[in-house]
Amino acid sequence: MHSTIVRGQNVFGFFTTVCFVVAALIAASDLLAPRTPKATVAVKDLQVVRGRPHYYSTKKEEYAIIRFSLSADLSSLFSWNTKQVFVYVSASWPNTTLGDAGKGEMVNEAVIWDTIITNPSADHLQNIGPAAMKKLVRSAKGKTIDPSRGKLELKNQKAKYQITSPDGKLAETDNMVLKLHYNVQPWVGVLTWTPQIEFGSWKKVKGGISKAFRLPAIKAKKVAEKKSA
Amino acid sequence: MLSALQNPRQAAAQLLNFGLILSTAFMMWKGLSVISDSPSPIVVVLSGSMEPAFQRGDLLFLWNRNLMEETKVGEIVVYNVKGKDIPIVHRLSTTHNGPGRFANGTRPCREEAKLLTKGDNNLADDTELYARGQDYIERKDIIGSVIAYIPFVGYVTILLSEHPWLKTVMLGLMGLVVVMQRE
Repeated sequence: MHSTIVRGQNVFGFFTTVCFVVAALIAASDLLAPRTPKATVAVKDLQVVRGRPHYYSTKKEEYAIIRFSLSADLSSLFSWNTKQVFVYVSASWPNTTLGDAGKGEMVNEAVIWDTIITNPSADHLQNIGPAAMKKLVRSAKGKTIDPSRGKLELKNQKAKYQITSPDGKLAETDNMVLKLHYNVQPWVGVLTWTPQIEFGSWKKVKGGISKAFRLPAIKAKKVAEKKSA
Repeated sequence: MLSALQNPRQAAAQLLNFGLILSTAFMMWKGLSVISDSPSPIVVVLSGSMEPAFQRGDLLFLWNRNLMEETKVGEIVVYNVKGKDIPIVHRLSTTHNGPGRFANGTRPCREEAKLLTKGDNNLADDTELYARGQDYIERKDIIGSVIAYIPFVGYVTILLSEHPWLKTVMLGLMGLVVVMQRE
């Protein structure tokens, strides 16, 4: 019963137990850090154009091109267990083809812009060029947590992703809204998204939803006419 | 090994013990599967397409029930593509629900929702990864959303599948331990 193997097994067993207990404690410590994010999102410019999903496609679809401004303070999301915060802005709109039947249901949602904010402890994992990496690492020299990275100021930001709908129609869609969301990725533990309800010291996002807006009619033709004139 | 022949009672006890360990592991796996409603409640990350969030070898816990809310944009889902046996872990970027509200006033049909995914580390969405002629995935293609994360622990399985000789070495070591223990 007291052979080397049994001793080895016991030591390894104890080691893994300690590891998991420490990991669980770290994960649980997230609940103690208050989260009080706030944000304002506003639409700046709207356009609907016709285009093809990819080069060889013969199908023409309508794409909405949205410019928006975002001012957000997500600095309270950064704690010692934060690996990265994934910030994204989505556009959501009800179904138009259904008329009254689909009213009030925000059944379509698409991400139009996103960004990854790493905690300085996870900077080395980013997939960016060497120059940008150097700059990023220098920006938080000597810090393991840098809450100031959670402050975002975007003015007249162009959407990263164009949005369309499965039936290819989007022009003059009414009641579209932009929303800011976030996803906190921990070093270990539970992943958290923008909360729908207040949970302990985790508050909902203050603001973070734009006013409802209506997409304009297709613009592409006019542009073409102007060019030919 | 010889002593096992001399003492069949002890050998039987050890066999039973081994069986117990295996069945406990199997029960826990299936139990998790039932609780989370997912055929594979724990997965190991195999590619770097979700970096910097997930690296190769990280362990993900999945949840496949819509108790409080629907599967939404921004969730990290694990889904299967027809004709590919390896599930993919990517983030939902677009959701188009089914035909809004039914005539009888029930909730919108999420079963027919058209969903689009994208890896955080990829430039474009996953339309290229889907089966030929498939532009969207559906709710039933998803085997779970990531809810919890443990780094690195799953790397053993990657090592074992990429270097098959390690399996032989491990089995050999295990056998050696069993033989040594008998003495």
